[in-house]
Amino acid sequence: MDSYLLYFAVALGLFAFAAGFTLFAVYAERKVSALMQDRLGPMEVGKYGTLQTIADILKLLHKELITPAAADKWLFVAAPVIIFVAVYVGFAALPWGPGLIPTRLDLGLYYLLGIISIETLGILMAGWGSNNKYSILGAMRSAAQIISYEIPAGFALISAVMIAQSLDMQTIAYQQGILSSEPTKFLGFWDVSTIGGLLSWNIFRAPHLIIAFGIYFIAGLAESNRAPFDIPEAESELVAGFHTEYTGLRFAFVFLAEYSMMFLVSMVAVVVFLGGWNTPLPNIGPVKLADWTTNWAWGILWTLSKALLLIFVQMWIRWTLPRFRVDQLMNLCWKVLTPLAFACMVISGLWRVFVM
Amino acid sequence: MSLTVILFYVMAALTLVSALFVASTGNLVRSVFMFFVTLFGLAGLYVFALADFVAITQIVIYVGGILVLILFAFMLSNKETLGRLQEKGQAFIGFNNLPSAILALLFFGVLVSMIFKVMPDQLEWIANSVANGNTFKATDTTTNNLGINLMTRYLLPFEAVSILLMMVLVGAAHLSRKESGA
Repeated sequence: MDSYLLYFAVALGLFAFAAGFTLFAVYAERKVSALMQDRLGPMEVGKYGTLQTIADILKLLHKELITPAAADKWLFVAAPVIIFVAVYVGFAALPWGPGLIPTRLDLGLYYLLGIISIETLGILMAGWGSNNKYSILGAMRSAAQIISYEIPAGFALISAVMIAQSLDMQTIAYQQGILSSEPTKFLGFWDVSTIGGLLSWNIFRAPHLIIAFGIYFIAGLAESNRAPFDIPEAESELVAGFHTEYTGLRFAFVFLAEYSMMFLVSMVAVVVFLGGWNTPLPNIGPVKLADWTTNWAWGILWTLSKALLLIFVQMWIRWTLPRFRVDQLMNLCWKVLTPLAFACMVISGLWRVFVM
Repeated sequence: MSLTVILFYVMAALTLVSALFVASTGNLVRSVFMFFVTLFGLAGLYVFALADFVAITQIVIYVGGILVLILFAFMLSNKETLGRLQEKGQAFIGFNNLPSAILALLFFGVLVSMIFKVMPDQLEWIANSVANGNTFKATDTTTNNLGINLMTRYLLPFEAVSILLMMVLVGAAHLSRKESGA
């Protein structure tokens, strides 16, 4: 019975983390945007506006839940929950440190890909259930975009999996540091199994994975509907896209899903390409930096800091680049990213056979 | 009764109830979304059969691909066509439903009789496999086995399927291409 209690505790902990992260990330987003645009951002609530998002969520919780008269009530009510749960169950397969993973699945990465595809369904549900032309336009754009970008994202991940030879997130993470059970080679010629650090990350084990990482990062932006790929909720064209009709707690759920998705996508990129919870510091002769900074506590620190760095880059891009047009978006996906991802996969195969 | 058994029955009930809803409701869009629940329950049942790869593949392909395509078809068709499709006879068992009802009952009879004749608990080859140790455990990795089998024993069917998919892709590209005024 104790183990079942532990399962529930882990699930609750992950939910608390997702909610807390969203609060923090919304504040960070507003501060980052202020920085980019030479403003101050929220300053009134709390010191430097730190309590601003707490005030926001309290306001959201108090708001009335309005269901439009013409909406399909079942779909309308269920959609935000499905959108959020689809992202939330993905958190179960993310490794946090050596020996620290909620569920170690053989098919962890594949499971995550499957989970991400469910979110599309939730968005379509929200769009159709709202019975509003802006919502349905936003939902259709979102579905078209997510389905298209799943292809380059999937192939970029496959090219890394071909190097790692495993779909288990924890195994992939173990291979990229000093705890690896098999020899790790920097660029395929220099054995860095005992040196570790930055040099044994996947992007340096096989240099074409840097391109794959770029492809996955861009596709991840599109999958979490972030600018410059935010045409599903393009404020200037579609009011607010698929979540136009949502109020109060339901709107909060949509928001929670968007920020959790950013975190999920960043975590997958970190684990598959950037060494997961492994330290970036290598062993240099007698200075065993990598040995000193590899355990579960450091693991959590490294994972979180790498993921938060990627999230900062996502915010930076959002407040720097203008929005893509639909045709530009599809051109980028099908004519640039997909062929590049295919090329990465071919190189991965050759690399595995001839270099490693 | 252990938790796994309870979970199995919950999944089975979920699959059956949602499938019944899909078949009986008049609201087509809702039935598509309910079909998602059916597929999800089925994926859970696959996991109980130690076919976790099949389970996830089912979610990726059916939920991420096919259901979304069906929904696209709905959203691109006009409301009158949808309304005509949703018109339903008043009686639950009417004359129009008779052929399908007979077919369903007969098929159900065939299935039930087959299950009773085969007696899945006492099959000879299963007993042999258990005796020879030719079995999977819940902790074994099935992916490697699948990959090796696909590339060796089942290479020809695999290639045939990929050629078929290639033909479908070419056909779709041809159909959706704008006619140029050449």
